[in-house]
Amino acid sequence: MEKEEIVNRLTPVFRKVFSDNSLVITDELSALDVENWDSLSHMLLISEVENEFYIKFKLKDLKKMANVGDMVAIISSKF
Amino acid sequence: MERTLITEKLAAIFRNVFNDDAIILRDDLTANEVANWDSLTHMLMIGEVEKVFSVRFKLKELGKLENVKNLVDLIEQKVKS
Amino acid sequence: MSEYLIRKAIVNDIPFLADVVIASEKGMSDRLSFATLFNKTEAEVKDLIMLMLEEETEGCELSLSSFIITEFEGRPISGSGAWIEGLNGALPSKILKSNLISYTFGEKSVRYLRTKAHIVQDVLIEREPMTLQLEYFHILNEHLGKGLDADLMHRIEENARAQYPGLGKVQCQIFKNSVFSIKILLRHGFRIAKSYKSADEEIFDYLPYNEKLVMEKEFKN
Repeated sequence: MEKEEIVNRLTPVFRKVFSDNSLVITDELSALDVENWDSLSHMLLISEVENEFYIKFKLKDLKKMANVGDMVAIISSKF
Repeated sequence: MERTLITEKLAAIFRNVFNDDAIILRDDLTANEVANWDSLTHMLMIGEVEKVFSVRFKLKELGKLENVKNLVDLIEQKVKS
Repeated sequence: MSEYLIRKAIVNDIPFLADVVIASEKGMSDRLSFATLFNKTEAEVKDLIMLMLEEETEGCELSLSSFIITEFEGRPISGSGAWIEGLNGALPSKILKSNLISYTFGEKSVRYLRTKAHIVQDVLIEREPMTLQLEYFHILNEHLGKGLDADLMHRIEENARAQYPGLGKVQCQIFKNSVFSIKILLRHGFRIAKSYKSADEEIFDYLPYNEKLVMEKEFKN
């Protein structure tokens, strides 16, 4: 799956989870940049992303995810 | 063991563990005054002391060590028995 | 009336506190320094942490008296550890903690540490005397998002000021990748004061991250 397609499909998920229709996701975007991205909404995000792509993140995948760029790379590796 | 010998051996341990050949042991020397005396090197130092002097420290004894004098006193006392 | 009860930790809480310590130490990784630096399994580490807490030393991160617990329906659901560094003439916490570890883990572990210590030394940070040191802060997942962190932070500061009315500062050492905890601290008035980065890439095998921050909050007295 192309990175562009992943980003296109992730964007509505992020906007929904963080209640922000103007949110633009970039490689460097992380919890530090988004006001209501805390450990709780993070769990929600992971669940929604897994549903969107029909994938399951392993614990070691999650540990490696420091920003959206990492997430995209990991999603890409599952296809 | 003579106190001066204890101090000599201890100085060698300190210089080695805290990586500083210039360390001079004074009675009132404390951890805060030695640059590389951190939580890890403290453990290494205690380990070396136990090995070199063939002693074992109780936790209560370790908790009373505020300066080098306390440590030398403790070693002296344990080496006698 | 809140369904949460915040109280001092007691001996019976020790197994839960050991889980708190382990979860906090791992942060956003699966690296448990008590295991990696001393060549122990996580199960062994849990037993050793319980032994250390049982010693009831005062004044460091492994002191039972440093912890407060939140209870929900009679069970512990959060654990937080904080102490005032050097209060009442106590030894530096780094010494107290090291004494506990040396004594409890044993000489084989310390010999193993000898071969690894150099890898992590860049992120060993001194604690400022007479400041409140916040070290462990863990809330079970099911109880996140309920505002408990604010109540806990408030209680921790209150308890500290009761022990030392002149308290001027709280410090917290935290790995840079613990983004959620960093956000919570920022929200509670902490600022990033310093950062310590390791030159040794090998550190990732032993610790959660290669950079540690000191976050601080000052009180105007």
